[in-house]
Amino acid sequence: MDLYLPIAEVSVNAPLLVALGALVGFISGMFGIGGGFLMTPVLVFLGIPPAVAVASMSNHVAASSMSSVISYSRKRSVDFRMGGVLAGGGVVGAVVGVEIFRWLRLLGQADLVVALSYLVFLGIIGGLMFWESVGAILRRRRNAPAPPPRERRPPWLYGLPLKMRFPRSRLYISVIPPVALGAFVGVLSAIMGVGGGFVLVPAMVYVLRMPAGVVVGTSLFQIIITTALTGVLQAGRNQTVDILLATLLLAGGVIGAQLGARASARFRAEELRALLALIVLCVGLRMGLGLFFTPKEAFVLMSGSGG
Amino acid sequence: MIAFPPPPAAPHAGAPAVSAALTETKVRVNSDFRGDRIVLYGAVFDPLSRPSDVVVIVRGPDQPVRIARKSRVAGVWVNSRPVVFQGAPGFYIAASTRPLDDIARFGVLRRLEAGVDHLAINAPDEQRTETRYGVRDVVVSRLGADYLDWRNAVVRLKEADHLYDVDEHGVRFVDKGLFRAEIALPAEAPIGRYEARILLFQNGQPVSEKDRSLTVEKVGVERGLYLWAHRRPWSYGLASMAFALAAGWAASSAFRRD
Repeated sequence: MDLYLPIAEVSVNAPLLVALGALVGFISGMFGIGGGFLMTPVLVFLGIPPAVAVASMSNHVAASSMSSVISYSRKRSVDFRMGGVLAGGGVVGAVVGVEIFRWLRLLGQADLVVALSYLVFLGIIGGLMFWESVGAILRRRRNAPAPPPRERRPPWLYGLPLKMRFPRSRLYISVIPPVALGAFVGVLSAIMGVGGGFVLVPAMVYVLRMPAGVVVGTSLFQIIITTALTGVLQAGRNQTVDILLATLLLAGGVIGAQLGARASARFRAEELRALLALIVLCVGLRMGLGLFFTPKEAFVLMSGSGG
Repeated sequence: MIAFPPPPAAPHAGAPAVSAALTETKVRVNSDFRGDRIVLYGAVFDPLSRPSDVVVIVRGPDQPVRIARKSRVAGVWVNSRPVVFQGAPGFYIAASTRPLDDIARFGVLRRLEAGVDHLAINAPDEQRTETRYGVRDVVVSRLGADYLDWRNAVVRLKEADHLYDVDEHGVRFVDKGLFRAEIALPAEAPIGRYEARILLFQNGQPVSEKDRSLTVEKVGVERGLYLWAHRRPWSYGLASMAFALAAGWAASSAFRRD
């Protein structure tokens, strides 16, 4: 059953997109990530103009994050205050990122930067996470005790001014690291067309030292705020949100996210992290390694006439 | 014969003429649009029955093309600075009864922009005029000797998207003097006004022509959404995001009751 999309101006297979939305929604609910890093490349591969894919994806990510964040908040595993601080930085980062992206498109280097960002960020984060989680799984198998936590409270995190209490996360830290983290993720989300959960989740665990229980829900909460803003900005400024495309994706996405949030309870945290790390690594390599192969076609048409 | 004041360049008695009509002049793009086939019928009137060839050229609204070339820098394939080509139609097909090169000579085809090789596509931003060998205002392109490579790449990539095509046997005579052509319009074809030019060739020269036009337009829900997104983008953005969030909330509530 094919459907013509009014903004993307291409015809797509509707059931395929619903299934894709469900799959990405499942992963999103399970790991507490937006899933944009998976969705955007697949949509572009299906022939949807990249600008429309990135913009419409934000509606899908907001919807599936909304769907699962409610489940997490019932379990009291969302730190709304921390999420709000992160989102504050994220809003600034997204606006800056949109400008950087426009400039890169003008130079014709957007493809390169996007591919490199996927390779570098997904590669590093996937690699680190995989290493850490496999180590944890092996230790548990051998019944070895967990290594003594290295200096549990990094001084720089606590030495900075503007301290704030985050009761849900049992933290009393400066707001500067979370705001900076949010801003960085905001820039990435605008450039790579992702929600940024794959950066946020590990950063919240390893940098902010938040308890694992609240990380996923808080990350989703932050993603809702940033992607909701991005989605409205994209529609308002660039007219690139395709509501039909977003509806198809989120029809599957909201249901997939529910199933994913339930499924996540059946796995151990380190097994989940190992699985996510593998997915992240594969996507990063798939996107980035293309840069090193000799292309079949030396020329490439750029979408959008004015840039 | 009754003598009418002849319009300029009107065919005189005995002169060959071509006539044609499209079976549809409006292509409606709705939710199940997957491209369309436009059928064109026409007739050749020639009392002397000289050997005739018919060329049908359909072109869509012009769209500037931005194109970049990949080159290897430090082991990584990098795009060059994009080059903008002006005058490229968003859709172009030349259908004919025989290969175009057999119908007319290069100069004639070039003047009529018949065939993808003869499209007047150029990159004015890359050009400048200078004095060479004492001749002033010589147009040179910064793309230099590669200019043709760039131009061919535009055509090749558009052909890969089924937006440009040359159909050497796309026009068929179905009966004496009666011909038929079928134009395939892909789902990616741009929205707007298309011009169909029907040319009658005899002895390597165009002797008669007819112009027909065709509009490709969105209808129904597609049109409503498109207009909303472009005329009131902020309310469209807010509404679509509100819808997305509501859908997420609804799914969550639905699953809670289970």
